[in-house]
Amino acid sequence: MSELIAEKKALSTILEKFPFLEGKIDVQRRQRIISSPMERPLFEEVFSFVVTDGGFNCFHLVIGVDDGENLGFIYVLSNQDKVMLLLKQSAPKSNPAIKSVCATFPNALWHERELVDLFGTIVEELPEGPTYPLPDGWPAGNYPLRKEWKVEYFDKINMTYNPPATVGKEEE
Amino acid sequence: MAKNVVIPIGPQHPSLKEPACFTITLEGEKVVNAVVGTGYNHRGLEKACEARSYLQDIYIIERVCGICSHIHSTTFCQSVEELAGVEIPRRAAYIRTLMAELERLHSHLLWLGIAGHEVGFDTLLMYSWRDRELVLDILAMLGGNRVNYGINTLGGVRRDVTPEQIEKIRKVVDIVEERNKYYVQLALSETTLAARLGGIGKLSHDDAIKFGAVGPVSRAAEVADDIRVTDPYSAYDEVPVTAITDNHADVFGRTVVRVLEIMESVKMIRFCLDNLPDGDIAVKVPRKIPEGEAFVRTEAPRGEDAHYVRSNGTDKPDRVRVRAASEANWHGMKHMLEGDYLADVPIIIAAIDPCYSCTDRAIVLDNHDTGKQSVIDWRTLREYSINWYKARGIDTGKIKIADSHLIF
Repeated sequence: MSELIAEKKALSTILEKFPFLEGKIDVQRRQRIISSPMERPLFEEVFSFVVTDGGFNCFHLVIGVDDGENLGFIYVLSNQDKVMLLLKQSAPKSNPAIKSVCATFPNALWHERELVDLFGTIVEELPEGPTYPLPDGWPAGNYPLRKEWKVEYFDKINMTYNPPATVGKEEE
Repeated sequence: MAKNVVIPIGPQHPSLKEPACFTITLEGEKVVNAVVGTGYNHRGLEKACEARSYLQDIYIIERVCGICSHIHSTTFCQSVEELAGVEIPRRAAYIRTLMAELERLHSHLLWLGIAGHEVGFDTLLMYSWRDRELVLDILAMLGGNRVNYGINTLGGVRRDVTPEQIEKIRKVVDIVEERNKYYVQLALSETTLAARLGGIGKLSHDDAIKFGAVGPVSRAAEVADDIRVTDPYSAYDEVPVTAITDNHADVFGRTVVRVLEIMESVKMIRFCLDNLPDGDIAVKVPRKIPEGEAFVRTEAPRGEDAHYVRSNGTDKPDRVRVRAASEANWHGMKHMLEGDYLADVPIIIAAIDPCYSCTDRAIVLDNHDTGKQSVIDWRTLREYSINWYKARGIDTGKIKIADSHLIF
């Protein structure tokens, strides 16, 4: 059984800088460190630190998740020891604004465009370019990976979303 | 003064087999800008997974890609098994590894043919695809299908390997190894090929890391990152794996890496056959998976395949995210194309072994006549293919095949 030396070393570097994250970021298993969701200002500070001083200079992907009231964004990074860090950011669905990491990691571009198309995320400083991956003519305001978006209400021939009148309204 | 010309290639274009749009800006013959556009295959696979059980999802996930179908289902099953706290039997782990390496063989041989075709070396296409057929026959024998083998299930594999099948695999592997020696020799010493592939599609070591390149693309730039070595799964903790790297950092280097990886796969297949443990091939996995999240990586023929699965305690996943290898390799494409000539564009694109369905994560089978969706088994498809050619005056039944091919 591995002693998780590389994982604990990477974790201690983060906790040394941010001691209040104790219990909110931990080793999940071999080669995996995983955090709890953080709000934007703290996330940006931690992200910047792990990339520049924590050795996590390899970006793999960002995963969007629907957490109910909030949207979650899981940034997957790795270091030279191949330890994967899953760092989570959270933003309210009412204003899901996050900052693009493309300036640091150009390979984040398509992943962030996915967040825009599929989750309705506002990615600030995202480089201009074509949308991805939804087709041209996709109805505005439809974010298919949000839990409230139901595929059965989507008319794929006419590209319209037609929920029943009662959906989203309180019962009288 | 030369005026820049913008050439849109795709999404429907005679030289593209799959839909993508490349907007190439040329200064004379030289590429000065390239914009890659994909997304034409998106069918909402991840959303579909959220509405189905874990077991049903295996069949969706296996169809993310027609070429590396097994590795996708392996990655998904491993994610769910990790969440359920289940360890699969060693025999199942070896069978998964065996299938993964057979898949790598057929994928790399497929690529070799495409690469040959793109540079006008169609003899190589004919040779390597001839050899690939032998591997596909083996995969069909083991799984019942040429590309979607349906071997994996939660907790292990669905089909065992018999001693008779093992003997047939050995025969095919011997032939593929012998034939691949020629391809290795070709890749390493054929001056015409080296001149055509060398120095184009450059992606340096640092750029490979910067753009997140994976698999043979990064290993050809001396990034020794192979998930089978760095994060072993299935039986790779016991099967000896050598990560093949090269320092050319161009299309030539990617070719060398792939043909040498075929040799490594041959060794690994033989190891799996020689050391296949006895025992069960699957254990039971509960229908409802405990709450949690798993992030699992595997080494697909095209590079790192990463799946994220989040469970909510029910029999359906809360979130499934698939990041296939091709999706990672596209990011450096603009950089690889810029500075090269228009004539090099097809082979540079082909050299990452791109898979559009992987990138967009989708598949749909449509019957265009009826508008209904259907699945065709491989015998029906083969029959359809034979009749299609017969109607055009080509009787494939009259084609003579060399004795060495008659394994079955």
